[in-house]
Amino acid sequence: MAATFFGEVVKTRCRAGTEEEEEEEESRRETPEDQEVRRQLGRKREVRLLRRQTKTYLECALLEKYPCSKFIIAIGNNAVAFLSSFVMNSGIWEEVGCAKLWNEWCRTTDTISLSPAEAYCVFYHLKSSPSVFLCQCSCYVAEDQQFQWLEKVFGSCPKKNMQVTVLTSRHITDYKTSESTCSLPAPFLRALKTQNFKESVCCPLLEQPNIVHDLPAAVLSYCQVWRIPAVLYLCYTDVMKLDPVTVEAFKPVLSSRSLKGLAKNIPPSTEMLRKLMTTNEVQSNIYT
Amino acid sequence: MASRYDRAITVFSPDGHLFQVEYAQEAVKKGSTAVGIRGTNIVVLGVEKKSVAKLQDERTVRKICALDDHVCMAFAGLTADARVVINRARVECQSHKLTVEDPVTVEYITRFIATLKQKYTQSNGRRPFGISALIVGFDDDGIPRLYQTDPSGTYHAWKANAIGRSAKTVREFLEKNYTEDAMANDNEAIKLAIKALLEVVQSGGKNIELAIIRRNQPLKMFSAKEIELKVTEIEKEKEEAEKKKSKKNV
Repeated sequence: MAATFFGEVVKTRCRAGTEEEEEEEESRRETPEDQEVRRQLGRKREVRLLRRQTKTYLECALLEKYPCSKFIIAIGNNAVAFLSSFVMNSGIWEEVGCAKLWNEWCRTTDTISLSPAEAYCVFYHLKSSPSVFLCQCSCYVAEDQQFQWLEKVFGSCPKKNMQVTVLTSRHITDYKTSESTCSLPAPFLRALKTQNFKESVCCPLLEQPNIVHDLPAAVLSYCQVWRIPAVLYLCYTDVMKLDPVTVEAFKPVLSSRSLKGLAKNIPPSTEMLRKLMTTNEVQSNIYT
Repeated sequence: MASRYDRAITVFSPDGHLFQVEYAQEAVKKGSTAVGIRGTNIVVLGVEKKSVAKLQDERTVRKICALDDHVCMAFAGLTADARVVINRARVECQSHKLTVEDPVTVEYITRFIATLKQKYTQSNGRRPFGISALIVGFDDDGIPRLYQTDPSGTYHAWKANAIGRSAKTVREFLEKNYTEDAMANDNEAIKLAIKALLEVVQSGGKNIELAIIRRNQPLKMFSAKEIELKVTEIEKEKEEAEKKKSKKNV
């Protein structure tokens, strides 16, 4: 209780916690319906890996099932287009699984089969060298789902003898620098690596105070904790939609040890890229 | 910090930025590339053609517009904003002609467009125009002009410039390859514009549109065939230059 200047007595919140607060808490306590909704939402947001060919869920983590020496992850449409055009068309890649997940930004329907048009997260391995894995992730993995994704892919005790390469892109307005953004040569690459990654990177390291976000950050943190050599190549671009100039900005990565030998036949790659652009082009008349 | 100072256009940030104007400049970069070149006897405007949907009428998607018989402009950025600015400029050209019985000078109409753009950076509740424009033409004195305006309302005269996506790359190319002597030749000016666009345009000459104004002549839009001929000429020259280079090395 407290008295105001005018003499009226008002109720104030007691920091010690009074009976009245307990009453309020009871009304805030969840009803059985709330709990059921929360359970259902939790089930819906669960990340599950499945094999589309057999329409069955994977019982164990992907990399616990298959041995892996190289793991290349592309996150975001530009990185996915880069791997599709430059790496995936230079060899035969077999699908080994895909991640089914649902969140506010990535509403895949709750069925066991994913149509190719939906935002997806698909895993492949190279037929001629089955320990080389590739992940094409064009859907958004929410914060609460990132750890599940990592556990389902890497497992609870990942082996340290693999090398992880992550490719992703970000808008240049996220790049903090003392220079004016107009003078920056967008698109450009920056790299971030774990302590155990001893090789040289093919572009400058990401300067402070810039940070990495979302799934790429989660993968890199996971690899740092488990002492797996991993490197992230981040392309800062001024065009966030699928853009050939941004995709080609990833080209220096082809000279790195993890991707060397995986990408051949550069001219068909540019042709493939052009095809991807035309199929994905969303007709927008806002800008001319 | 930026988010507290970009809500209303009339507010400066503590370090002197007008964020809405800077964001408008980002919108310009979303438009396809346009390049302008001022020769001795010719002015050239080249643009990267936007891909048109199958059912869309190509004629209604134009980046190069005539403002008057002797002035034309190319823009990059928000299509609707460009339409409004072009309409106002066209009306001003005719109004000027009726009032003072003389056609506008290129500088006058550029200043008019720039002043219009600046007004929208100082008005409450209105956002700036999200376009940059390249304005070319000949004045009565027969001197060719090229001006560029941007969303802040500034304008400058240029010998050659580019706006839109990849403008930086094209500008660097122009800085390396623009020479006053070469620009005395009309054909060289046209080829420079096409070469500059080919640096950044996908799938070559099919995606380029070109317009020229020669002294005392109206605006001429190049047909697709004419552009293809120029592109072939450029490619031949490139091949010959490479052959000479390899002969020298041997």
